This record gives sequence, C-alpha cells and structure tokens, in this order.
Amino acid sequence: MSQAEAAQSSEQEWEPRILTFCCNWCSYAGADSAGTSRMQYPTNMRIIRIMCSGRLNPMFIVKGFLSGADMVMMLGCHFGDCHYLKGNFACNARMTLLKPYLQAIGINPERLYWNQISASEAIKFKETMENIVKKGKELGPIANELGVHAQGAGAQTSKKTAKAVAEDSFS
Amino acid sequence: MFYGKATDQATQERGECGGAVTAILTAALEQNLVDGALVIKRSESIYDGFPFFATTKEEIAEASGSLHCAPTLSAKVIKNYLDGARDTRIAVTCKPCDARAIVEMGKRNQINMDNIYMVGVNCAGTMPPVPAREMIRKFYEIDPDDVVKEEIAKGKLIIQTKDGEHKEVSIDTLEKEGYGRRKNCQRCEFNIPRMADIACGNWGVIGPDAGQATFIEVFTDKGQKLLDTATSSGALTLTDAPPEGIALREKLDGIMVKMAHKFMDAQFAKYDGDDKFEKMFADLDRCILCRNCIINCPICYCEECFTKKDYVMAQGTLPPEPMFHLTRLMHIGPSCVDCGQCEDGCPAEIPIAMITHMVQTDLQKATGYVPGRSLEDPIPLSEWEEVQE
Ligand SMILES: Cc1cc2nc3c(=O)[nH]c(=O)nc-3n(C[C@H](O)[C@H](O)[C@H](O)COP(=O)(O)OP(=O)(O)OC[C@H]3O[C@@H](n4cnc5c(N)ncnc54)[C@H](O)[C@@H]3O)c2cc1C
Ligand code: FES
Repeated sequence: MSQAEAAQSSEQEWEPRILTFCCNWCSYAGADSAGTSRMQYPTNMRIIRIMCSGRLNPMFIVKGFLSGADMVMMLGCHFGDCHYLKGNFACNARMTLLKPYLQAIGINPERLYWNQISASEAIKFKETMENIVKKGKELGPIANELGVHAQGAGAQTSKKTAKAVAEDSFS
Repeated sequence: MFYGKATDQATQERGECGGAVTAILTAALEQNLVDGALVIKRSESIYDGFPFFATTKEEIAEASGSLHCAPTLSAKVIKNYLDGARDTRIAVTCKPCDARAIVEMGKRNQINMDNIYMVGVNCAGTMPPVPAREMIRKFYEIDPDDVVKEEIAKGKLIIQTKDGEHKEVSIDTLEKEGYGRRKNCQRCEFNIPRMADIACGNWGVIGPDAGQATFIEVFTDKGQKLLDTATSSGALTLTDAPPEGIALREKLDGIMVKMAHKFMDAQFAKYDGDDKFEKMFADLDRCILCRNCIINCPICYCEECFTKKDYVMAQGTLPPEPMFHLTRLMHIGPSCVDCGQCEDGCPAEIPIAMITHMVQTDLQKATGYVPGRSLEDPIPLSEWEEVQE
C-alpha cells in the first residue's frame, strides 16, 4: 500500500488503540482461553500482563493515555478470587479515585474501564473487547483531549481527525 | 467561647488584640506544657515575617502582633527543622492553612501530633510582601516603611502609619487591580481554624472590648488545657462571649466562605471547557523543573520521588513530560490544603496552587474528603480494604 493510500484508509477507518492490563491469574488466562477457543474478537488491544490488579499504579494508566492509548482497560479477578487475596479491592478503590481524577485533568473518565474476568469467561472477554472498541470509536482519538501531548499524534496533526493516530506508537 | 486578653498591661499593648495568644503561649512555656513556641516573628519591617522557635518568655513577647504579609507555612518547618516534633513539645500559632497542613502531615506520620498544641488564629488572608509594598505606594500613597500595622476589617484593608494616621481602601478595589490577598487566600473557605486546639481572632469582639480582646473558641481537650494553664497562672483573663458576638463571628465567617466560592468559580473558569488538559498545560509547560513546588508542599514527603524514576518520565528534558505534573496532582490532589506555597515558590509563575486546588475540589466532590478538617477522617485510599461490593 502506498503511503497516500495508507493515510486515506486510516482516515476512513480509524481504529481505537486499547491498552489492556490483565492480571496474570484470571483475566490473562481468560484472554488465553478466548484465543484457544478460536473466538474472533477485535484486535485493537495490546495486552500487558501484570501479576495482580493490585499491582497497578494508577499513574501507569495515565502514562498509557499519554503514550497514545485511546482507551485503557484494567481486568482482574473477581472479588474473593484474587491470588493475593485483596489486590483487586485495592484496585477497585484506586479506580474509584482515578475516574474523578481523570475528569479533573480533562481526560474523559469513560476512557478508563475496569472489570473482572475470570479464566473461564472467554465469552465475557470477547464481548468486553467488542463493547470497548465500540465505546472507543464513540469517544474518538485521545489526541482530541491531550492535544500536542498525545504521543504519536504530533503537533502538526489537526484536531478531531482520525489521522491523529496514523502513526501507531504501540505497533 | 470567650473573650480573652493578657492580664499583663505590657503584653496587652504589644499584642494585636489584647495579647491573648502571647499570654497563652507564655503560660504554656512557663508551666512546662511545651518546650517552645513556633511563632511568626517580625524582622526588618511588617513585610518580613519568619518562623521562629521561641524558647523564652522574651522571645515569645517579641513575636506578638499579626503579620498579614507573612505567607509562611509552619507545618513543613516542624518537619524539617524541629524533627517533626518527635521529642519536642511545641505550641504553634497557626492560620487555618497551617493547621490543616499540620493535620495532614500528622495523618501521614510526618508530625507527631501528641507533642503539638495548635493555637489557631483566624485568618481572612495574607498578602505577598513585595506586591504589598507596591500596593501601599500606589493606593495609599505613603512610604510602605511608615506602616506600623495593617488589619482587614469590614471588607477593607486598614493601615496605620507611625504618626497614628489611619487609611483604608476596600479589598475589592485592591484585588480588581491584582493586589491584595494572595490568590489562594481569595479562594480559601477556612477562616476559623476549627481543626486546631483553639481558635483566636478579633471577629465577634463587640462593645467596649472591640479591638482590645480576642475571641477564643476551644475545640479539644488540649485546647482546654492551654486555657486552664493560662488562666490558673494568672496570665490570661477570660470573660464569656455575648451571644451577639458569637452570631456576628458566624456571620462574618459565612460572608467570607461565600466570597471564597465566588473566587473559586471565577478563577477555575480559566481552564473550563473540552480542552481543559491543553489549557492547563499551556501554563504548566513553562515549568523548569526546579521542584520548588515539591520542596515547599506540606503533603509531599516521599524520600524517593516517583517522578525521578525513568520509567515514569524521561529524565533531563524541559519542559518535563506531563507525567511530572500529573503525578504531583495525583499524589497530593486529594489532600491539597491550598496553602499556596507551591505557587509562591514557582519561578515560572505557573498558577500551580490554583490547578492543584481545582483538582482537589473535583476529587472532594467524588470522595467527600475535606483535607485537614479532622485527624479522624481517613485519607482517600488509606482504608480501601473496607470497600467491598
Ligand atoms: C494573617 C492574619 C490574618 C488574620 N485575619 C483575621 C481575621 O480576618 N479575623 C479575625 O477574627 N482574626 C484574624 N486574625 C487574628 C487576629 O489578628 C489576632 O491574631 C488574634 O486576635 C490574636 O490576637 P492577640 O493579641 O491575642 O495576639 P498576639 O498576642 O499579638 O499574638 C499574635 C501571634 O500570632 C502569630 N502570628 C503573627 N503573624 C502570623 C502569621 N502570618 N501566621 C501565623 N502566626 C502568626 C505570632 O507568632 C504571635 O504569636 C488574623 C491573624 C493573622 C496572622
Ligand atoms: S491476582 Fe488477579 S486480581 Fe489479584
């Protein structure tokens, strides 16, 4: 594909980039089982495996947005299932503070999504992904909010266009 | 609630409003309740106030009088220079922001609250010293060094010269021209330090005592102990405050709180809109990473700063990556007491206290946590285990 063509197609079919943190013991295994069951789900997400949702420093999520993620998703074990007993409670508490924080600094808190998916819930994993991609498309590129500070957007890209993310810093 | 004044004539005259605070501090020291008093002392002029740890009666006496151009914060002084009151018992005169900062640091184990006696002074705002001198020249048309006393009353800033002359200008006029109180003081809704052990101030003092006595409200057992010590040793004379005085004080407080909300709305409007992030960073990108805001902040205390990790932000670039400011806002946002120290110390003149305060008010709406209100309120996220669904 020529460069011009690539630019054109990215304009037409903008795809949100979704950064997904998965806890090692449940959600990552859930993603795995969705894969081994050959389920089709959108390929927009980049998964980072962490040992427990309680490990996640909220600033990593903010850093994710600054690095060009349009949505950030945190998936962990169900309450009571955490491998380290209480990690997901810590995560839950952080998420409830992080949402108003994102709002306060001018990032739409809907760009952050937190849910619990167990190893056996491959279907839930697939459906979550589909919903999140839909939501991401609704909200548009993160560069709309971060402007020149969104990585991969660059100062030269005009606002509110899908072109803002032509260069994928994740790939 | 009482009217109090020093029994001793000389202390009464030296004091701002009857010298009650000086009498309380002196008695606490002499009766061995505390090892010393952290006061704000005047140096060259009324525009020079600095924190001073007084350990003798004479030193406490030297500090009497209110300094309205001393935007100092005692909280971090206690941590940095008095070892967080680990082994020293300290009585500290505190404006509401001092008191709130001390409470926040106490919750974080940076100050040993067992050894702290907070003698609160009401405060309707402080002024930055250098612009204050300019303001005196411009609006009062006198030499700033001739001013011996200033006072905020009835919406006016009243000054007294060494010849005994009084001059007044309305605070509104001054602040419309960019002078007057510091921006964070304009937004402040804490005028009476209810988190301190006692609160002293001239609001609510009516009748023949007006201007000659201090209204004292007691909040804690420690506060009661301070008053008992001062009265039993004969240093302080107390009379009951009349109901009209109490009502007047409440009313004045209410007016100031309302004004503070107006100022908040007006100032925060600067960043309103869909492009809030970009608007904020238009200012924040002037940062030269001197870290003064971190050094001065009473809530910032980590030995190992998160922003110095290269996995958080690239080190050695200017302006710093947004992660620098965003980390600060996340770490101190929920607990910001809006003391304004960060903004005072900012060489790039970024309205950083305002931005932090704005984030804090938003977080307060979500969590209900009022920074520095009480030692009992848990800091957000510190009690997450109890949150279950
Ligand atoms: C900046 C400021 C604004 C004030 N605004 C009001 C007001 O709006 N309404 C009201 O009712 N009362 C206000 N007060 C309190 C009032 O002016 C008197 O301090 C109070 O009535 C006690 O009088 P006193 O004679 O007992 O104090 P004194 O015996 O004269 O002792 C005063 C004590 O205050 C301390 N002090 C002086 N300046 C500062 C400072 N900047 N920060 C911390 N401590 C300081 C000194 O160390 C001294 O120990 C304010 C005080 C200050 C410092
Ligand atoms: S191990 Fe999965 S959330 Fe803690």
